[in-house]
Amino acid sequence: MRTATKLLIGLSVFGVTVGTVYWFVTYEWTGSVLLWSFSLTPLIVALFALKHGWMRAAEPEDDPSASSATLAGEDLGAFPTATAWPEFLVLGVIATGASLIYGLIMLVVGVPLLAWAVIGLARESRS
Amino acid sequence: MTTRPRSLARVGTRSLAVLTALLNASCAFGMQEGATKQGEATFRLWQAFMLAAIPVALIVYLLIAWCLVRYRRRAGDDPQALGRQFRERWSVEIAYTSIPILIVVGLFVLATRTGSTVDAVAAEPDLRVNVEAYAWGWRFAYPEQGVEVVSQPSGEGVPGPVMVLPRGATVRIVLTSNDVIHSFWVPGFLYKHDAIPGRTFEFDLTPTRPGTYDGECAEFCGLNHAYMTFSVHVVGEDEFEAWVARNRTVGAA
Amino acid sequence: MTTTAGRVVPSPEPAPPAHRLGPVERLTSTDHKNIGVLYCVTAFLFFLVGGALAGVIRLELAEPGRILANETYNGLFTIHGTVMIFLFVAPFGAGLANYFVPLQIGAPDMAFPRLNLLSYWFFAGGGALILLSGFASAGGGAAMGWTAYPPLSGLAHSPGVGPDLWILGLAMVAVSSLMTAVNLLTTVFLMRTAAMTMWRLPIFTWNMVVVAILGLVAFPPAVAGLSLLLIDRRLGGHAFDPLGGGDPAIYQHLFWFLGHPEVYILILPFFGVITEIIPVFSRKPLFGYTGFVMATVAIGALSVGVWAHHMFVTGVVDNPFFAAMTLLIAVPTGVKFFNWTGSMWGGRIWFTTPMLFAIGFLLNFLIGGVTGILLAAPALDYQLSDSYFVVAHFHYTMVGGAVFGIFAAIYFWFPKVTGAMLREKLGRIVFGLLFVGFNVTFWPQFVLGQRGLPRRYVDYPPDVGFDAPNLVSSLGYVVMAAGVIAFLVDVWISLRTRVPAGDDPWGGYSLEWATTSPPPEQNFVSMPPIRSERPAFDLRHPEARP
Repeated sequence: MRTATKLLIGLSVFGVTVGTVYWFVTYEWTGSVLLWSFSLTPLIVALFALKHGWMRAAEPEDDPSASSATLAGEDLGAFPTATAWPEFLVLGVIATGASLIYGLIMLVVGVPLLAWAVIGLARESRS
Repeated sequence: MTTRPRSLARVGTRSLAVLTALLNASCAFGMQEGATKQGEATFRLWQAFMLAAIPVALIVYLLIAWCLVRYRRRAGDDPQALGRQFRERWSVEIAYTSIPILIVVGLFVLATRTGSTVDAVAAEPDLRVNVEAYAWGWRFAYPEQGVEVVSQPSGEGVPGPVMVLPRGATVRIVLTSNDVIHSFWVPGFLYKHDAIPGRTFEFDLTPTRPGTYDGECAEFCGLNHAYMTFSVHVVGEDEFEAWVARNRTVGAA
Repeated sequence: MTTTAGRVVPSPEPAPPAHRLGPVERLTSTDHKNIGVLYCVTAFLFFLVGGALAGVIRLELAEPGRILANETYNGLFTIHGTVMIFLFVAPFGAGLANYFVPLQIGAPDMAFPRLNLLSYWFFAGGGALILLSGFASAGGGAAMGWTAYPPLSGLAHSPGVGPDLWILGLAMVAVSSLMTAVNLLTTVFLMRTAAMTMWRLPIFTWNMVVVAILGLVAFPPAVAGLSLLLIDRRLGGHAFDPLGGGDPAIYQHLFWFLGHPEVYILILPFFGVITEIIPVFSRKPLFGYTGFVMATVAIGALSVGVWAHHMFVTGVVDNPFFAAMTLLIAVPTGVKFFNWTGSMWGGRIWFTTPMLFAIGFLLNFLIGGVTGILLAAPALDYQLSDSYFVVAHFHYTMVGGAVFGIFAAIYFWFPKVTGAMLREKLGRIVFGLLFVGFNVTFWPQFVLGQRGLPRRYVDYPPDVGFDAPNLVSSLGYVVMAAGVIAFLVDVWISLRTRVPAGDDPWGGYSLEWATTSPPPEQNFVSMPPIRSERPAFDLRHPEARP
């Protein structure tokens, strides 16, 4: 957890640094904004990590001498086995997106399909 | 009496002298020799980069080949036998990290110096040619001479327009596009530049050798991208003046 | 013939019998192993499509004179490029990651299995749209190049619905990659087994971590650029239209900000694959693990800062900045070559088919990398950009590198996934045909670029030096195609005859080799102790433990 957090913070710092150097070398807006935004993504995850104590964590996966017995019997919760919602969700996305090309009539098909699939997938995840 | 170079500047100058001598002696490695002052600088840079790249590549290939031959499992070897189980050798790792950094820094210096030479624009060019690219042809306008050369509609087998330039003159090309992005490429000059609609680019070409040099559009621009050719005809000054006189269409600016 | 180089680890309970999935189950199962197979098989089918398109391209270019209509040819290379990059190499890497990352870290599945399946369907759906965009769209297929630069890709110059379908399809593929990235990072950060510290992760998993971060960072600006393009085309926007106050160069920034990290997303999984293979078949640990991980992170980080080396000839960017960054990225790549060589040094090299492909990767990618250094100098780029030299360069890295990595991965991991061995003798023939065919196809393209042939040309003038290299290149394609056919034959025969592979036919190092072939549904019945980056090896060789 600590290594992961350090990696994310490091990348974020790198992004800010390169973006700032780029700005003062070129005064070019697009590239500078892109590079500074590059630093934001790992920063968001790093802030989450810090807030959840990843730097202090003492998880078995970070203990070099832990034995697998530490994790034996740990309940990881149920893993889902199958779902058909993704196919319908993707069809809904395609139909909705195609409305930009083939006209708003596609939304009549696309939006209900997409909504149905999203709701279905969400409800299945909760059960 | 030998003097050892003490200052960095002298080391730099001597290295450059050695490098230039090396370049003069080495081959073209497949590259065309540039027919402009700028192209000659590019050609030298190519040679320098190849002189760096080829030995490095050869060393790596030799190391790999050595391993494959020397450390192969031979018939009769125990299939369970292990190789040497070392994981780190810090001195080697530091060496193969720092030496490439030095090489790369050197390459950057060379590349930037040549880039400055090629990108340099003179305060007062000898000749201006406005180049307008469009789908699918070229328009060359010599504003000071009142000459305009326009493509025939391009297609298979249709010859492109000819840009005539006097040898030795610093020619300012002012490049733009009428519609989509094109690119003005003369391989014999070792130079191309994109023509972007809404923007104008100015660059200098100083032809050094007479001859005819093919030109092509080098940025994909649709249907007849492959037929948007042109050529550059580099002639002596007198011939250039004669050509201008024959082709003047409007009064000189 | 089966060579079992490791002892089978006895498990305390017998593994449950392998359950063969029916077609409906295959399309709805959220098991990461199934999704991994879905990705890889679908990606390989796209490879065959893209390869067929390449064949038509090489047929056109074999001799001067035009066979195809210009528009058809333009569509061919557009779809060929899009398919190979976004629908073959990238998803194949994602498929391998899906299958093997949870195994390598000792997890029972990915962190978000449903999201994982959704991610596959976004890829498949987007891929279908992209194929449709090339062939089945009224008014004009997508024919603006896989880079889709405006104004050429704008409505005025590319009317018809092809480009719009293409944009939609690509956006869906981007969303798929984002979902996979989130899934991978969460899985690796949070679901490692006990004592599997980040510094004991197999290199393949480390590389996928960097790939995932790159995907998260790089895809959104590209989706933004594509959205703006779609808005320009269909909703009256002028983001890239100079007549409306826009600037086509901005698209290039947005596109290449993804485009360059994308090529590292394409190659890093296969750097990882051959880093799994070379130490195993040299009977040695990886040389310089720490340096390798840092080099991978460095490559990932630097790759975000080099994008405008694709724009050196536009005159719109600061060339020296990007030259510096591009030259710099050569350093960690070079470090890796020394890691790989050091991993063979003092070893006992066993020339199996996966090892042959890994070595082929090294030999080919070196050329790709070195020519990349040549292209890093802006002045040299002024000559070489947009020519066949660049085409050769990226095919050396992508085909000579990534595709060889794909075949290496298949030959290495096919026994684990199917429980059956591929045939060694046929594998060598496949390797020979691909290696020779590949180099015969693409080396002459360096020559073509040097002689001044631009890329994306449907035809070329005769007798100016383009004829012979083009013909040789096209002949090379035939040899490559023979190699692919031989490979398909190998797969077919091997699945019919089913020579059992056992848990560990190679003497592998990472955790996937410490379970059955194929693994049971929850991946592991028993978990060996993790004390290094080679837990399966440590189990077999307690005397060699660090």
